[in-house]
Amino acid sequence: MKKKISKKTKSKKINASIQSFQSTILNLQKYWGNYGCIILQPYDMEVGAGTFHPATTLRSLGTKPWRTAYVQPSRRPSDGRYGDNPNRLQHYYQFQVLIKPSPKDIKKLYLKSLLTIGINYKDHDIRLVEDDWESPTLGATGLGWEVWCDGMEITQFTYFQQMAGIECKPVSVELTYGLERICMFTQKKNNVFDLLWNDTGVKYKDIFYQAEKEFSAYNFDYANTEFLFKIFEIAEAECKSLLDKKLSLPAYDQCLKASHVFNLLDSRGVIGVAQRAGYISRIRDLAKGSGSVWLETQT
Amino acid sequence: MSELFLELFSEEIPSGLQKNAREGILKLFTESFYKLNINFKSNKSYSTPKRLVFFFEGIPEKIEKKGITIKGPKVEAPTVALEGFLKSNNLDRTKVFEQSTEKGRFFFGKISPKTILVKQELSKIIPEILNKYSWKKSMRWADHNLVWGRPLKSILALFDNQVIQFSFYHLQSNNLTFSDEIMEENQKEIKNFKSYMKLLNSKKIILDQNHRKQLIVKQINKVCRTRKLKSELNEKLLNEVVDLVEKPNILVGKFDKSFLNIPKEILITSMQQHQKYFPLFNQEDNLANAFIIVTNLEDKKNFIKIGNERVISARLSDAKFFWEKNKAQSLVKQVSNLKSINFFSKLGTLFHKVQRIRKLGTMIADQLNLNIEKIEISASICKVDLLSDLVGEYPELQGVLGSYFAKAQGFDEDVSLAIKEHYLPLGLDSRIPRKPISVAVSIIDKIDTLVGFFGIEEKPTSSKDPFALRRSAFGLLRIIIENNLSIQLKDLINYSNALYLEQGFKFSNQATLIELTNFLRDRVKNYLKEKKIRHDIIEAAVASHTSGDFASLYKKCLILNKYLSKDLGKNILMIYKRASNILDQEKKKVGFKIKGEPNSILFNKEEEKILFSKIHEIRKYFSSTMKNENYEKTLEILSSTKKTTDDFFDNVIVNDDNENIKKNRLELLEMFCRTYDNLIDFSKVEGA
Repeated sequence: MKKKISKKTKSKKINASIQSFQSTILNLQKYWGNYGCIILQPYDMEVGAGTFHPATTLRSLGTKPWRTAYVQPSRRPSDGRYGDNPNRLQHYYQFQVLIKPSPKDIKKLYLKSLLTIGINYKDHDIRLVEDDWESPTLGATGLGWEVWCDGMEITQFTYFQQMAGIECKPVSVELTYGLERICMFTQKKNNVFDLLWNDTGVKYKDIFYQAEKEFSAYNFDYANTEFLFKIFEIAEAECKSLLDKKLSLPAYDQCLKASHVFNLLDSRGVIGVAQRAGYISRIRDLAKGSGSVWLETQT
Repeated sequence: MSELFLELFSEEIPSGLQKNAREGILKLFTESFYKLNINFKSNKSYSTPKRLVFFFEGIPEKIEKKGITIKGPKVEAPTVALEGFLKSNNLDRTKVFEQSTEKGRFFFGKISPKTILVKQELSKIIPEILNKYSWKKSMRWADHNLVWGRPLKSILALFDNQVIQFSFYHLQSNNLTFSDEIMEENQKEIKNFKSYMKLLNSKKIILDQNHRKQLIVKQINKVCRTRKLKSELNEKLLNEVVDLVEKPNILVGKFDKSFLNIPKEILITSMQQHQKYFPLFNQEDNLANAFIIVTNLEDKKNFIKIGNERVISARLSDAKFFWEKNKAQSLVKQVSNLKSINFFSKLGTLFHKVQRIRKLGTMIADQLNLNIEKIEISASICKVDLLSDLVGEYPELQGVLGSYFAKAQGFDEDVSLAIKEHYLPLGLDSRIPRKPISVAVSIIDKIDTLVGFFGIEEKPTSSKDPFALRRSAFGLLRIIIENNLSIQLKDLINYSNALYLEQGFKFSNQATLIELTNFLRDRVKNYLKEKKIRHDIIEAAVASHTSGDFASLYKKCLILNKYLSKDLGKNILMIYKRASNILDQEKKKVGFKIKGEPNSILFNKEEEKILFSKIHEIRKYFSSTMKNENYEKTLEILSSTKKTTDDFFDNVIVNDDNENIKKNRLELLEMFCRTYDNLIDFSKVEGA
């Protein structure tokens, strides 16, 4: 297929050229930064999704306005495939935007953000397809869509209704860009490992292939489960004691730890079906506790 | 005559909610208009993902209300009554006068003729209607209090080119709509519905969902004709797609032919469910490597087609990878891995379940005279596909994929079919299994589920049935009745109960068998009702039914339904009635219990003896035809006693002076009725 390069404007040139993984991140940061979002860095703990960053979970609670955007490495241990599968990773990147209260023109803002990463809504079939969201571990629900671009899901678009078991008022809107998916789309790659990370030829594979192999082995075969079960208990106890001392942020860190440890145990296949719901509800209790203490301590 | 035009512009409303809102809000309007005596010539509602439109034509501009006089409280009533009367009717004291009636002196009020301006009225009722509509699923956004299907952005409300002014939560009605399709930056003024439609036409937006549907169907058919392909035009998908686009455009995509080697259900599910494409088939009804995409945008640069093709081929390569992997994983060796999947918390894992149904399988094999090995192996592996990556990705294909795995691993055709079909029937009217092994596994799987949930008292209530036990029971009965199976359901239920206990599960419910049997009886009543069997026949037949042989119960009901209203049936009812009437009268009077056990020594009339021996004849007939009873023949036999009973009633006086003889004659009649009740409980039949 021939690539058409428009000579008209500078911005259109950017649209038509292939964007590397890192420039996609940088362009989104710049765009949302210009809009007024506080550009944060990834949270420094293992999390399953950008939503778990306290800048989303905790800050979506309460009445204070809040705008942020950040990239978040996300870990889903059981999605690992030893680097063999072209579409699946146990570690990947999400670009997360959270705005409270949700602005009236959020759809327009979103479509414009796509322009900056090489997706022109005039050329592509952008569709909002119903997809309501629920996170039992966070005690969270939301309504919204998955955004399809020519049939591919590239973003989750969610209006939070509840977080940490607490009704959201005002409501935040969350945009979660699946960066690997988007880049596979814009770079026209069929294998995630072939993605160009930068403009000098470094590929996704060069950076992450070994990690995928090794962490898959760890997640599925070697993680010390006895040790992990202990960590879960310790993190849970620590979280509760910190909640008693009204320290919501350190308590929430322990909730995140427990959540990740649970995911690891799950991918090791040692959580019995009967116990599963129990563990999830224990994590939810920690999240709820952190949320309400955080709200209490807001001035 | 005037027109009312309302557009509710929002962010994309999901398909399922659109149709309800279209119909529900229109209904509220119509009801409200009816109440207020506002007539109209036509009422329409339309929707696209972003626009909900209501359009009424031929509405009067104003309504003249005639002046009337209304009666108020009694003159001597406390003053608050009069005050209330004035207030509720918006009356001035000067318009009230006193007048005498038959019942005393009353206040009367004169309501003057009034002109109601419909536009003004609408500014009141529209927000009320919008407030009244309740969404199946709704949400809040920003800091607003409004709850709506998706964020509502603007309300256009016009009555004869003029804005109907009202506010609805944070929004104020206006005459504006968004005219640029995707960015929603510019609002345009709209004069009336006609100019609105003109604007939409110029943007190629089709407001009317039915037109969109017709257009899509027409274009799909055109593609099929030119390419010599076929499409099933799945109605559910079609309706969904219609509600996903404003300006439909049709593209034909392709995928690599090599994907046609994986099970076609995977391809179809990927296309229909995941991607909302219409799969295409060749003239021999085999899946083709082409599909139809309905987009919301013209594909000027060919990006959209290529993008969609890439998505489906990524999905299919994933599926292919898993297919190759999963089909090579031995079903038998994986059975013990079912321990990792819960059946239900108090009923163990799926491993427990398949162990139980394998054993139940031996009993049903015996009952139906089927190959035990086939049933046992089917029962053991019928749930194993739930462990596969593919069922993880395509949960709706449980059973279907297991069947493919079994075929690939060389299992017998009956076995692989049973894996697929033991989940049937999926809906109330949908297909049931017909092949013996499938039938057997389907039955025992359902019995195991029913017994388990009844055992731990997780029974359905009148409003809730979270484990779909009604559906299971109904399916079970349909399989038995429609395959005309004679099985000993009670034995299977008892054995199933025992198997749970054997595995160490404790049932809190001691009455499982009785409750489940009653539950099944109620379901069978529903089934018979659906088959248009007379209500009283259902009651009569089910009341006398003790065996749990539901197939013969059904046959019996069919025959009775056919003959009871004809001479043959009327005859029997007449005979029965003569006997039962006497019994009913006497039973109230006599102080002893009638057991239906006459003593032949006490007979002193020939007719008694003849009747007695006739009853014996019939009893002998019933006991000889326990199985495969020919109900038409039974009816003929029951009707053939007419002469005997007529002779009896004409020549024998039941109410003999001798208490012992009288009692014995009542016993004889009771015996007679009970014998007839072997067929159905005739006392419950109307006219008996």
